[in-house]
Amino acid sequence: MNPSPVQIAGRVLTALERGERIYTAVVTASPDASLVGRRWWRSGRRHGGTLGSPSLDGEVAAALPALFPPRESRGALSRQFDYRGEDRPGTATVYIELHGPPARMVIVGAGHIAIPLSRLGDMLGLRVEVLDDRPDFANRDRFPGAAAVRVIDFRDPFADTPLAPHDHVVLVTRGHSFDYECLVRLLRMTSMPHYIGMIGSRRRVRATHEQLLRDGFTTEDMARVRAPVGLDLGGQTPVEIAVAVAAEIVMIHSGGTGMPLVEKERVVERFFKCREPTGGPSSRSAG
Amino acid sequence: MDEKGLLARLAGLEEPAVLATIVASRGSTPRKTGARMLVGERGVIAGTVGGGCGEGEVIEAALALFRGGGPRTVRVDLTDELTSWSPAVCGGIMDVFIERANPERFP
Repeated sequence: MNPSPVQIAGRVLTALERGERIYTAVVTASPDASLVGRRWWRSGRRHGGTLGSPSLDGEVAAALPALFPPRESRGALSRQFDYRGEDRPGTATVYIELHGPPARMVIVGAGHIAIPLSRLGDMLGLRVEVLDDRPDFANRDRFPGAAAVRVIDFRDPFADTPLAPHDHVVLVTRGHSFDYECLVRLLRMTSMPHYIGMIGSRRRVRATHEQLLRDGFTTEDMARVRAPVGLDLGGQTPVEIAVAVAAEIVMIHSGGTGMPLVEKERVVERFFKCREPTGGPSSRSAG
Repeated sequence: MDEKGLLARLAGLEEPAVLATIVASRGSTPRKTGARMLVGERGVIAGTVGGGCGEGEVIEAALALFRGGGPRTVRVDLTDELTSWSPAVCGGIMDVFIERANPERFP
């Protein structure tokens, strides 16, 4: 029996409740019209349905790791696949979705930046977890919207927070040495979160990198850390800094440049400037 | 309605419907690949594939599916001339897969 869209939706919801990844696929076009609408799902070792040909099922399954990097927790795309039909080669366009537990934003340091940042993280659909060693700071009253608030020991900050490649960690502790402890732990993880941000002035960040070198880390390790964290928006207040960090996360997720769109697209310059009389004042302001 | 809300609505479907999913998009489209809409015999139940920009075409095609035919892909071209003042000036093209979705039968 071909699984119906209704059954597939139920499968996806069940997987999400269990915190598991699930892939679903459906044939949307093929010269062999009998394949169109055939579905398949797979979650870990469990799977069901078929795209109508064992060879096509295999081709799609083999392509999944390349199509959906481990840091991604969701995705949707269409690809054309060639397969071996029963009597001749076939081709089919397959639409594939990945659903997984939401990526996390783990904020270490429950101070003044953590409050707006936790709210922005939640709005971005990230599962927000806040860690600090001070119960007066790491508590539900300060972070009513966070998925988890934990009082931790900086000697083993992520003991109760297992991290995955699709997670984000933002280090905004009250002391540089605490940030450093966390950083060292993160850089030694086998499945390191893809986003590791650390707050700090140029001077502090430089001091951190010097310490990393002394402790045997490489410049490659350093390059894994986004420090100072955030886009250059020029803001100063905790909310403004949180916006800069959230914006950087959006940029990375979406493959943006972080540039103002007006400068990236330059619509006036590209399409209108040639029609302007020469010698006129430039429409672009400096800075 | 968010993605999970629509999935929940689909999983607990109570009337025959057509599921419309954007399976590919190029250029500027109001919603991207993965966006979904559920259409019932009396019109949209939940979700959107882009509002004014091309959605009417998809709803028409979805309603036609109730009268017969198998699952298929509808190509929606939103690249009309800007000066036409048509709603389809978003600048992109999207492929929307439409298929029947029937409620699970309960004993």
